[in-house]
Amino acid sequence: MNKKLSKISLFILVGVLLLAIFILPLLAATIFSFKGMGGKGYSFINYQWLIEQDGFWPAISTTLRLAILAAILNLSLMVPTMVFLHLKGQKWKPLVDAICILPLIIPVVSLAIGAQVAMPGILQNTEYELVFFYVVIGLPFTYRALDTSLSSVPLKTLVEASRSLGSNWLNTIIRVITPSIRSGITAALFLSFALSLGEYTITSLLHWETFPTWTVVAAQQNILGAIAISVFTFAAAIILMTLIGLSTHKGSGREIVEEEHNYGMAE
Amino acid sequence: MSAQKRTSSTLELKGVSRHFGSVKALDGLDLTLVPGEMVALLGPSGCGKTTALRIVAGLETATYGDLFINGVRYNDTPVNERDMGMVFQSYSLFPNMTVAENIDYGLRVRKIDKNKRMKRINQMLDLVDLGPKSTSYPHQLSGGQQQRVALARALAIEPNVLLLDEPLSALDAQVRVQIREEIRRIQLDLGITTLFVTHDQEEAMAISDRVGVMRSGKLEQIDTPIDIYNNPATPFVASFVGMANRLPAEISGAGNVKVLEQKIPLSPLSGNLEKTKSAIALVRPEAIALTDEQDPLATRAIVAVKSFQGPITKLGVVIEGYPLIHIDLSSKEARKLDVGQKIAFKITADELMVENV
Ligand SMILES: Nc1ncnc2c1ncn2[C@@H]1O[C@H](COP(=O)(O)OP(=O)(O)OP(=O)(O)O)[C@@H](O)[C@H]1O
Ligand SMILES: [Mg+2]
Repeated sequence: MNKKLSKISLFILVGVLLLAIFILPLLAATIFSFKGMGGKGYSFINYQWLIEQDGFWPAISTTLRLAILAAILNLSLMVPTMVFLHLKGQKWKPLVDAICILPLIIPVVSLAIGAQVAMPGILQNTEYELVFFYVVIGLPFTYRALDTSLSSVPLKTLVEASRSLGSNWLNTIIRVITPSIRSGITAALFLSFALSLGEYTITSLLHWETFPTWTVVAAQQNILGAIAISVFTFAAAIILMTLIGLSTHKGSGREIVEEEHNYGMAE
Repeated sequence: MSAQKRTSSTLELKGVSRHFGSVKALDGLDLTLVPGEMVALLGPSGCGKTTALRIVAGLETATYGDLFINGVRYNDTPVNERDMGMVFQSYSLFPNMTVAENIDYGLRVRKIDKNKRMKRINQMLDLVDLGPKSTSYPHQLSGGQQQRVALARALAIEPNVLLLDEPLSALDAQVRVQIREEIRRIQLDLGITTLFVTHDQEEAMAISDRVGVMRSGKLEQIDTPIDIYNNPATPFVASFVGMANRLPAEISGAGNVKVLEQKIPLSPLSGNLEKTKSAIALVRPEAIALTDEQDPLATRAIVAVKSFQGPITKLGVVIEGYPLIHIDLSSKEARKLDVGQKIAFKITADELMVENV
């Protein structure tokens, strides 16, 4: 078969599918969400309705607050653990690997109900108990992200080089370890934050109101409003993630454009 | 160029052992380096070379034994207070820092003031001839350039001792030769005491003052390259260093050994040999010479391989029942020989090292 032709037809197939199941519905929803009163003309009326709903701003602020806390807690737990595993605790790695995959295997319901009972009293009656669950469900993803990044640099040698050049541990962590696994930390941060933003099941089971649970209730009152919610959420997510991506990428030394290729230079 | 202000150090290891569970990576290693000396540690894989180096660097602790630098015991000094310049086998430059920042790293840690640091960095860049690359990142450099930066980074801190763990093993043969000569030039220039680990004997011979041959965690012999080659202390050293034909031998009384029908004095360094066991004599390719067909000592063989190597030519000759025998001849002498031709040769060694197998 003609190779080039099959490549083109594959390209068209993917394009059509993408258009049919992703771009078209999204576009339709966006247009629809700007419909005016009673479906006539175009206006911002649905978005206005959304913003004026009771609990809109509190729900957003709760969600952001919890997601930020969860991401920070997750990383402050996982970065030192993973670095330690890669430097000194190779034999513990399978164990931690297994533990970190558990949240994917244990049904969310049993996790939520079971673990809540075991939670310390001070946490049990505040929304901050959710942070704990968000950290747990994020573990499998932060584990992979950090593991991949740590495996791609000769961390042990870099640390030994730093130490033998006279550096103490703190300086080694700040100036050598962190910058070398920056991409992994960014990815882990990203995943943990995004997961917490969108978490619905546990939050709903434990009867807390965050943006995802709030939208479900709000959406039942107004069809066009519900579509506006979807479009808003989608756009907000894209903007937020892009911002995180941009801010963590800046100033990373790896981004140097390889304009000069000095390989193969006569030595 | 005298970048090294400090006087060179003495390095002493006394009875150093390192056990990993039941594995004795080092087993009572004694080694002394005089100031400004470059010693190569040579030995087969797993004999403990890297372990020895890491103990000096403080990256590994000795199970027994002591480490002294300039007579001061260093066993309990932490890695970051030892002032050792270490160059690793694998690339170890900090990927997020430029060449200059890498060299600066150890200087910044020492809180040296900025002007002095700049001066030092430039000095080091000149030393390894990488001035134009100061703002490049490691991934923009060739392997050889990276190892030169690693060397500059290690030397920038004016270390007590320079430690090199097979720094050239990841490089191409040609670059390897060039950089090892550069290392030697710099080492002599600075007069820095250097311990150099390698399993390439040619490399060890070419650039060090003394070569220490290790075997199973112990130093088997340490001597100048010439003495290691010409006067090996044990059969292990003789067979490990340089090329040697391993020929079946018979030990006859009166301290002689019979090889290829020739009777040659047995080297007293051979150690205790058991006459009942089979024995192998070690014969260097250059200790064999062509001879007359009529010579009563002559062995006849057929040339199977001939390889021209500039001033000398290496022959591989076959005799029924023996492995291929290597002979080094001057190229002038070898010119008249062709593959397939019959030759006569004899062993010219004064004495032979023999070992049981
Ligand atoms: N961290 C460790 N844990 C267990 N055994 C080790 C460790 N490091 C080294 N060994 C063992 O100690 C012995 C000596 O190792 P070492 O790395 O010093 O050898 P080497 O002479 O440098 O070999 P090579 O030429 O292959 O680099 C080996 O048998 C090795 O398996
Ligand atoms: Mg080694």
